Amino acid sequence: MIRRLAFVVAVLALATPALAAPDPAALKARLEALRARVERLKDHDQIENLQAAYGFYFDKALWGEVADLFTGDGAFEYGQMGVYVGKAHIKRALTLFGREGPEFGKLNNHMQLQSIIDVAPDGRTAKARFRGMVQLGRANQPGQWGDGVYENDYVKQDGVWKIARLHFYPDGFTDYDAGWTKSAIPLPGPSAAIPPDRPPTEIYRGFPGVYIPPYHYAHPVTGRPMTIPEPADSVLGRKE
Amino acid sequence: MRRLLILAAVLSLAAPAARAADDLDALNARLDALDKRVTRLEDANAVERLQRAYGYFVDKAQWTQLTQLFAKDATLEIGGRGVFIGQAHILDYMHGAFGPDGIKEGQIINHMQFQAIADIDPDGVHARQRMRAFVMSNGGWGLPLYENAYVKEDGVWKIQTLHGPFTMYTSWDGWAKSATPNTRPDTFGEPPDLPPTVVYLTYPSYYIVPFHYPNPVTGKPWTPGTQEAGAYASPTQVSLDNPKGSPPKGGAR
Repeated sequence: MIRRLAFVVAVLALATPALAAPDPAALKARLEALRARVERLKDHDQIENLQAAYGFYFDKALWGEVADLFTGDGAFEYGQMGVYVGKAHIKRALTLFGREGPEFGKLNNHMQLQSIIDVAPDGRTAKARFRGMVQLGRANQPGQWGDGVYENDYVKQDGVWKIARLHFYPDGFTDYDAGWTKSAIPLPGPSAAIPPDRPPTEIYRGFPGVYIPPYHYAHPVTGRPMTIPEPADSVLGRKE
Repeated sequence: MRRLLILAAVLSLAAPAARAADDLDALNARLDALDKRVTRLEDANAVERLQRAYGYFVDKAQWTQLTQLFAKDATLEIGGRGVFIGQAHILDYMHGAFGPDGIKEGQIINHMQFQAIADIDPDGVHARQRMRAFVMSNGGWGLPLYENAYVKEDGVWKIQTLHGPFTMYTSWDGWAKSATPNTRPDTFGEPPDLPPTVVYLTYPSYYIVPFHYPNPVTGKPWTPGTQEAGAYASPTQVSLDNPKGSPPKGGAR
C-alpha cells in the first residue's frame, strides 16, 4: 500500500512539471531531488568499492589498511571470535589471521561478492549484505574452502564512507581435499591471547549447523520486513 | 504613431517573458531527460539486487519468500525440467525440488549470484539480465546460467521469466572426474506446464545460452549457429567416456 502510494506520488511528481506553468522554484526543487538521487547512486558505488577494498587488503594481510577502513569506534566481528572495537584493537585482532603482510606460501582470499546495498535516504548511513567466499592455504598443508555472508553497517564521515560495523557470518570451512560432504572445520571461538571487547553478538556454529544471518533489507517485492525464525540446531539446543 | 509606440513597448516587455518561459521549458525538458537516465541506473541496480536476493533466499530454503520475487504470471525453467507457470506452480517446483521452507541442519544449498549484465528496455518497465549462479551444495558444485526477464509493476521490479540452463554439475570429486547429466521432466516429480524450451546436454557437452545483448563493442547481435548446443547440433554423442565425440555404434543418434 505504502509502495503504491509512493508510486502514485512519484508519478505525480513526474507529471506535475509538464502540466504546471514553468516555475523557477519548482525547477530548483526538481534539480535538488535529482541531485540527491545521483548522490545515492554514487554512495552505492562507493560502498561496493569500500567493501571490495576490504577484501583485497584482507587477502594480503594488510591489516593496517583494513583497520583504516573502519570508523574510530568501528566494530569487527568474524564468526564466533567476538567483537573488536576501535581501529587499534581491530588491527591487533587481525593478527589472529596471521602476521601483518603477505607471506610466501599463504593464501588468504576473502572475496566480496553478490552485494545488496541500501543507502539511507539521508545519505549518511548504509547497510549491505555481501557473499564471502574464502580460500585459505599454507604451502604443503591442506587447503580450505570457506563461505559465508557479511551484514555490515557503514557511515559517511566528512564525505567519506567508512565501515561502522562488520560482521562476517561463515557458513563453515572445509578441507579442500575432503570437501564439505566429509569435512567440517568448526568456527574458532574468542581468542584468549587477544580477547575481544564483547562476546559474539549472535550464537551459531559452522556447517553442518545452519544459521540465517538476518537480512537488513525488507523483501524486495512485497516490501515486508523479513523476520525468519532461525532453524533448529541439535548442538546449540536451538528449537525451531 | 502613438499606437505603434505602445505596441513596441508591449512587445519589448513581452519578449523577455516569453524567452524566460522558453528557457524554463527547455530546462524542464533537460531535467526530464536526466530523470530518465537516473531512473535507468536505479533500475539496473534494482534488477541486480532482485536476482541477488533470489540467490540469498535459495541459500536458506526460503521458498515462499523467493516465490514472491516473481510476477503473478511469471515462468520458471531450470535445467531441463520444463516450464512452470505462475507463482503457485513455481512454489510447487521449489518444494518438489528441495522440500519445505527452511534450511535444515546438515543441508547446504548455496546459490551464489555473480557477473550480472542487466539491461533496462527503453520502455523502462522491462529488463533482461544474464547472471552466473555458482552452486555449493551437498551434491557438489553446480553452474547454472541465468538469462532472465524482469517487469516493473507499480514501480517494483519482479522476475517475469526465470530461465536457468545448466552449464555443469559435478560431485565433490570435481569436473575432471564426474559430470552430472542435465535434468529432464521425467526425472522430476512435479510435471511442468510446458515442455523445455530448449533441449541440450550439460558439460562435457555444451550449450550457449543466447545473449540478450549485442556485442558491447561491435554492437552486433550474436546469432546461434549449428554449434550452439554440442549435444543436439552434433551427430555424435560427446561424453566423458567419449570426449572426442566419435560416432556411437549404430550411427548418428
